[in-house]
Amino acid sequence: MTGIPDPASFRAQARAWLGTAAARRGETRAWGSGDDSVAVFENWTEDEERAHTERIRDWERTRYDQGWGALSWPVELGGQGLPPHYEGLYRAEEAAFDVPQRTEIFPVTRHLVAPAIGIWGTEEQKQRWLRPMLRADELACQLFSETEAGADLAAVRTRAVRHDDGWVLDGHKVWTSGARVATWGVAVCRTDPEVPKHAGITVFLVRMDAPGVTIRPIRQMTGGESFNEVYLDGVVVPDADRLGPVGQGWKVTLSVLAAERLDSGTLGLDNADRAIELARRCPAGEVQRDLAADLYIRTLVQRVIGLRITAALEAGTAPGAEASVGKLYATETMRRTTDLVLRLLGPRLVADTGEWGTFAWTEHLLGAPGYAIAGGTDEIQRNILSERVLGLPREPR
Amino acid sequence: MLTIDPALLAETDEQAQLRSVLREFFADPGADWHTLAGQIGVPGLAVPERYGGAGYGFRELAVALGEAGRALSPLPLLSSAVLATSALLASNDDEACARHLPALAAGTSTATLGFGTVDAEAGRLRGAVDMVLDGADASLVLIPGRTPAGLTLFACADGFTRRPRRVLDPSRPQALLEFHDAPATPVGPPGGAEAILAAARDAGLAGLAAEQVGGCEHALEATVAHVRQRNQFGRPIGSFQAVKHRLADLLVEIEAAKSAAGYAAACVDAAPDELPVAASAAKVVCSAASVRAAAEYVQLHGGIGFTWEHPAHRYVRRARTSEVFLGLPHEHRARIAALLGLDDGGANVA
Ligand SMILES: Cc1cc2nc3c(=O)[nH]c(=O)nc-3n(C[C@H](O)[C@H](O)[C@H](O)COP(=O)(O)OP(=O)(O)OC[C@H]3O[C@@H](n4cnc5c(N)ncnc54)[C@H](O)[C@@H]3O)c2cc1C
Repeated sequence: MTGIPDPASFRAQARAWLGTAAARRGETRAWGSGDDSVAVFENWTEDEERAHTERIRDWERTRYDQGWGALSWPVELGGQGLPPHYEGLYRAEEAAFDVPQRTEIFPVTRHLVAPAIGIWGTEEQKQRWLRPMLRADELACQLFSETEAGADLAAVRTRAVRHDDGWVLDGHKVWTSGARVATWGVAVCRTDPEVPKHAGITVFLVRMDAPGVTIRPIRQMTGGESFNEVYLDGVVVPDADRLGPVGQGWKVTLSVLAAERLDSGTLGLDNADRAIELARRCPAGEVQRDLAADLYIRTLVQRVIGLRITAALEAGTAPGAEASVGKLYATETMRRTTDLVLRLLGPRLVADTGEWGTFAWTEHLLGAPGYAIAGGTDEIQRNILSERVLGLPREPR
Repeated sequence: MLTIDPALLAETDEQAQLRSVLREFFADPGADWHTLAGQIGVPGLAVPERYGGAGYGFRELAVALGEAGRALSPLPLLSSAVLATSALLASNDDEACARHLPALAAGTSTATLGFGTVDAEAGRLRGAVDMVLDGADASLVLIPGRTPAGLTLFACADGFTRRPRRVLDPSRPQALLEFHDAPATPVGPPGGAEAILAAARDAGLAGLAAEQVGGCEHALEATVAHVRQRNQFGRPIGSFQAVKHRLADLLVEIEAAKSAAGYAAACVDAAPDELPVAASAAKVVCSAASVRAAAEYVQLHGGIGFTWEHPAHRYVRRARTSEVFLGLPHEHRARIAALLGLDDGGANVA
């Protein structure tokens, strides 16, 4: 493909291609029948998680192989070399088609890990990792948090010690989403305990099937097991799988976290849209109408924030504060979605009468709090906004 | 309004003693109905002596509910000792009270109150009522039936099927009850159900508020304990003002809840005229405090607070279930607005 198509013709092309590759979403998610899940975190067994992952992977491969996967990546990597926001344009079209709902590990791999490899990887690593990750052949999870290093991620204790031409990793990671289906884990490790904490960190890509890696699922408050603890016991990692220079791991980590913040701007929109649709269908009083209208305004504004980021990227300028507020705005959208639905459904939200699209909302109610903790807690987001964006003095640490 | 004796808002020594006995009792995972009823005598606390109760008041019962709520006890206190017992007492039906209350007070039987309506004809009930609290286990069900004389309360012990519902909060079981010509006896005067239900609902709201406060207190205490000892960035997370201020705000909200709940509990016996406003106010204030307390419980625990093993999610489940039980907060605001005469743009108030 040569040149960059304008957004309208790009969307038309995308629609045309989607028409050849997938079925239109018609009856499948019609109101009142079929799947009524609004789960924020799926309550799957390991087998179900694998099966669903395979289904999504199939679709992602189809996209990639036909040039519709890695849109913003260079043609050599199977992309179209389009500006980043074209992915959003594509997704807006895709929403009208019956394609598998992506689980978190897919955007984590493509939007968080792959770009970090793009920035920090050696030529050899880019050759080896980017294609399989963009094609979803290989998925990557984040081995970041530890029991003693959560909000204070730079306090990681997992040790990586040099050994022949590689490294030996020992430690314990927690809350790792998608560990069971990931090929790689991006591990934030301490390589130098003598220097100040941010300076002694190095990042490695660890094969999740390597000897010494043990994955144990952790049950979440939703009842399902979508995160895990991961033990690293004497795991040998070749130096070729180190991402970025030794001791520069904090910067590598920050690139992943920044991408995560940017990627979270659309969080919660699907369920908010559905809650507004529910308000349309339920007999609603003044209170619910007010809440529904307010939530609608929120979804509108949340999308406009996304468009401002798009506009900045399109103009080739770095987005400003609007790019950092996205996650906090989104977690609030999720809370307000719960509030509206509770007022619409009342007792039908807390007891399952079997009625379609009612008790299913408990999965939103119970899952939403997870996003105020995952990917940088709401409090840490506020610290980032106040210190990095507003330039306020740092708290004593 | 607000004629209550301030002394009724303070805990007596006897109540404090009851509280400490019950705190210990509910802390035991094996806490059972038999001990709670037979040995400690909780379901009979607010039942008059002539019906086999201990003849204390609703405030004593509220102490017990507070402790039950703190522990999220699944025992049927709210359904049997509050809702059904209050309905029987409010019916002024001496025969029904004498027949049922001694067993409810002793805990040898439990009862519940359904708020939906069924058809009643010649002492037989037909129809279904859903989401009946503890409906799968209660030996006796009180249910309003439509009769030619108007809505009449009935007591029914068999002739119906019970289908437990899947619920958000497993410690608060609910069931669908389907009546197929179930034999039932009227409770209170024909056409008298509405007044009885209104009284029972307000007592229920006062009881629910006491439970909600108990849950809030647990959430706050557990969260404070956690943020004191959890270190990040080389210091306790409770030393960050962002955390401190949030917990201070939560304390303000919980003290408000405690006040509203204490007032409602006192009104049940001492100021029935004030109870409707007190009960609705308690519902609004205590629901907001519980939802917020449970949310902070999860959030300030970080990842661990999002796990199944940690108790925080059980408080989220309970807080949301209580929020919608016996009317949603906005419905109680509307009720208060109506009681204040605000319905026609406030013209009545001026
Ligand atoms: C659903 C879910 C999925 C996750 N997936 C992953 C994953 O895939 N990979 C991964 O590595 N991790 C993952 N996490 C972990 C997540 O990143 C951490 O839970 C998070 O960073 C918080 O760390 P913590 O749990 O140790 O809480 P703590 O750091 O102990 O924080 C506890 C509370 O204190 C607050 N706090 C801490 N410091 C401050 C401060 N300076 N000022 C104000 N408040 C503060 C926090 O905001 C929080 O509310 C996931 C978590 C969840 C809930």
